[in-house]
Amino acid sequence: MDNLNIGRHISGQFNEDLERIINQVMHMGGLVEKQLTDALTSVCDADEALAKKVLHNDYLINNAEVNIDDECTRIIAKRQPAAGDLRLVMAIVKTITDLERIGDESGKIANVTLESLSGEHKDLLSNLDNLGRHVLTFLQATLDAFTRMDYDAAVKVHKSDDKIDREYEALMRQLMTYMMEDPRSIPQVMSVIWSARALERIGDRCQNICEYIIYFVKGKVVRHTTPEDFESLS
Amino acid sequence: MISVTPKNLSEHNVKLDLNNLSPEQVALEIKNLDLYYGDKQALQDISMSIPKGQVTAFIGPSGCGKSTLLRCINRMNDLVDICKIKGQINLHGENIYDRHTDVAALRRKVGMVFQRPNPFPKSIYENVVYGLRITGENNRRVLDEAVEKALRSAALWNEVKDRLHESALGLSGGQQQRLVIARAIAIEPEVLLLDEPTSALDPISTLTIEELINDLKKQFTVVIVTHNMQQAARVSDQTAFMYMGNLIEYSDTNTLFTTPMKKKTEDYITGRYG
Repeated sequence: MDNLNIGRHISGQFNEDLERIINQVMHMGGLVEKQLTDALTSVCDADEALAKKVLHNDYLINNAEVNIDDECTRIIAKRQPAAGDLRLVMAIVKTITDLERIGDESGKIANVTLESLSGEHKDLLSNLDNLGRHVLTFLQATLDAFTRMDYDAAVKVHKSDDKIDREYEALMRQLMTYMMEDPRSIPQVMSVIWSARALERIGDRCQNICEYIIYFVKGKVVRHTTPEDFESLS
Repeated sequence: MISVTPKNLSEHNVKLDLNNLSPEQVALEIKNLDLYYGDKQALQDISMSIPKGQVTAFIGPSGCGKSTLLRCINRMNDLVDICKIKGQINLHGENIYDRHTDVAALRRKVGMVFQRPNPFPKSIYENVVYGLRITGENNRRVLDEAVEKALRSAALWNEVKDRLHESALGLSGGQQQRLVIARAIAIEPEVLLLDEPTSALDPISTLTIEELINDLKKQFTVVIVTHNMQQAARVSDQTAFMYMGNLIEYSDTNTLFTTPMKKKTEDYITGRYG
C-alpha cells in the first residue's frame, strides 16, 4: 500500500474513493484465488459438488467486476484523476478485466470434474494438478505484488511465467503421446487439454496484471515488448 | 469508419524536444530570468523555450509566479515601480529587455488578454479597430475587413455581425472575452498571452474559448496561465509547472499529466499536500 500513496489528497473524499476501489480489487482477487483453488481441488478429488459450487459462484466475480468498473467510471467523471491517480484507476480497470477472465478460466477447469473421467484416465490429472499448483502460486504472487504495488515483485513474477509456459508445453507433449497410444482416450484427454490451456491462459492474465503494476509504478508501458526490451526496462 | 493505424497515432502524438528546438521552431526564449519585487525574489533563474504555433500553459499554485512570468513577456511588469528584472527574453533572437526596445512595438507583437473581460465603453466595431486606429489606420475598407477577420477568428462574427455598432458592454461575459481576444488579434500579433482568460466565465463560454484557443494556435503562438489544471490539460501542447518562483517541470502536456518526472508536479496535479 505504501507505493499507492493515496492518503495525502487534499480531498478526503477522493482518498476514500480510491481506497474503496483498491479494497474492492483485493476482495475480488481473493474471490478469484478461492475459485481457482476450489476448481483445482474439485478436479483432483473428483468432487462434483465443489465443481458445481465453483460454476455457481462465478457470478460473484462478475458482479465485483461490474461494481468496480462503475466506481472507476464515477471517479473519472467526478475527480478527473491525473498522473499516478489516473494510472492507478486505469491499472485497476484493466486488472479487473483480467481477474474476471481468470474466474472464467477457473470455471472451465471445474467443468472437467463434471465430465467424470473414468478410473483408467485418472493419472492424466496428476500432471494437471502440478501445473495447477504452480499457476495458483503464480496468481498469489501476482495479487501480492498488486496489493503492495511492488514494482520489483511484478517484474520477478512477470519473468517467471516462462516456467509455466514450459510446463504447459511438456504436458501437451505428454497428452499427445497419450492420445496416439490410445485413440479411445481422445475425448477424455481433450478435456484435460482444455484445462491445461485454461491454466496457461491464467498465467498470461497474471502476466498482464504485472504489466499494469509496472505501468502504475513507473508509468512505462511494457505490454507487447520483447523479452529483451523487457529486460532492459527492469 | 476511421482507421487508426500506428502511423496515424504517431503523427497525432508528435512531441517536440523542448530542450533541442531549432531556431525556427522557437517563438520565445527565456534565459536565466530573475525577477524581484523590492527585496522579494518572485522568479528564480527561469529558462525555457516556447515553441511557435503551439499553446503553452503555465500552471502552479497561487503566488508561484506564473502570472508574473506571463507579464514579463510583454513587459507589463515595467509598470510596477519596485520590480527589477535580470536575464533575457528573446523574441526573434532579440532581447525584449534591451534598453533600445520599443515597448509599444513589442506589445503590438505580443498581445494580452486578462482574467476579466475589459471591453472599452464603445461599440463592438470600435473595440476591434482600436489598436489599428492607434497605429494610424483609418481606411474604412481596411478597418471593415480587419473587423470581420478578427471577429471570425475569435468565433464571434456570427453572433454580432448585425449589431457591430452597438455597445460592447451589452454582450455577455463570454462574448465580451471573445471580443477582447478579437481586439488583441486584430493587430495581428505573433504571440498571444492569456492570463486566466476563462476564470470569470460560465462552463459553456469556457468551452467556447478553449475551442477558440485551439483554432488560434494555427495563426499565433499562445501562452496561457490557468488555475484550472484540466483546462491546461485540454488546451495546451506544452505545460510548465511553477512553484515558489521556480520552474519545476516543463514538458509536453500529455507526459506531464500522465507521467510527471518530479514529485512536486505529481503532488500538485493530483491534488495532494505539498
